[in-house]
Amino acid sequence: MASTPTQYDSFQRQAANLTPADRLPLDSPYEISNELYGLLRKVLHDLGGQPDTPVPFTEKGEEDWEMNTYLTCECLGWRGVWNSEERRRRENDLGATQYFGLPYYARWITTAAKALVDRGLITTDELGRKMDEVRARLEGQRS
Amino acid sequence: MSTTHSHAPLKESPLTEFEVLELAVRELAIEKGLFSADDHRRFAEWAESRTYTVGSRMVARSWLDPAFKERLLRDGTETSKEVGVDWLQPTGQGTPSDYTYFYVLENTPKLHNVIVCTLCSCYPRPVLGMSPDWYRTPNYRRRMVRWPRQVLAEFGLHLPPDVEVRVHDSNQKSRFMVMPMRPEGTEGWSEDQLAAIVTRDCLIGVALPRADVTASQVPKQPKGRNGGNKR
Repeated sequence: MASTPTQYDSFQRQAANLTPADRLPLDSPYEISNELYGLLRKVLHDLGGQPDTPVPFTEKGEEDWEMNTYLTCECLGWRGVWNSEERRRRENDLGATQYFGLPYYARWITTAAKALVDRGLITTDELGRKMDEVRARLEGQRS
Repeated sequence: MSTTHSHAPLKESPLTEFEVLELAVRELAIEKGLFSADDHRRFAEWAESRTYTVGSRMVARSWLDPAFKERLLRDGTETSKEVGVDWLQPTGQGTPSDYTYFYVLENTPKLHNVIVCTLCSCYPRPVLGMSPDWYRTPNYRRRMVRWPRQVLAEFGLHLPPDVEVRVHDSNQKSRFMVMPMRPEGTEGWSEDQLAAIVTRDCLIGVALPRADVTASQVPKQPKGRNGGNKR
């Protein structure tokens, strides 16, 4: 999506607000303790045992784009473009902000797009043009 | 159950960038010959046909047929074929995400099993269908391995202290399903009758089967602090 300078400033401010309020230990310090080094090496997707408060466990079911994301990712695996281990690894490597910030299947489709670009199977220009085309088509169908 | 066909008319749903991205990736992949539209359709047919009723069937048959139960507990992957599930489906090499060993976990009067995937969202789709959304949440993944009794209680399942709770963490090589104990009041029932009370949540381990509860029949009497209703 194209954006104006004002929108860009607004976007930067909102993105900054997603980062931790206390940045001191995470601002590339000259030295860190061995203990902190150990903590920092813990992978972000290893959630088992982390404290959390009870939340309602809700049912939703897949929306169309979510089921289609699952199918697209599985077809890419079926036909040898990638495998599920790579998909999971790429999700984990999105970084904490996106890993926890994106909806479940948005993690999947984001990594699929990145995998195709990284392999040179599509270019970012192609993807951008295709997204513009698809967006215009779907908006036309729904207006 | 998940489905791609049960939603509001297109006009009412606002367009999201995720829909746009998915369709763009899919169309580019098809244009480049990475997979075909027919591949996508075939995989959709397979995925839509997966439901937990296969797991229910396995448990019901195990309650009636000790030899089947023994085979199922010994080799879940192979014995799945007896209820029509070959883990090599639908591609001949399994699904990219689920071609793994399948283990069935037997509950006993002193042992209750429950499944989770702390590292991602591994789930035995070939026999249970798509996982419920809560199963994939960071919250369930964080807490189930450390506070299982509390989490189970939130689902309305209160286990006595003398029942051991064993949490099984699924991974890229292993998928699990729980085989609950046959409840009282089901003496003389047929396999179909028994299968109907083994709901998805019983196979995950966050509920126990009851003679008066099926997926389409709610309990006659509330049970537990929250009336046995988690929603």
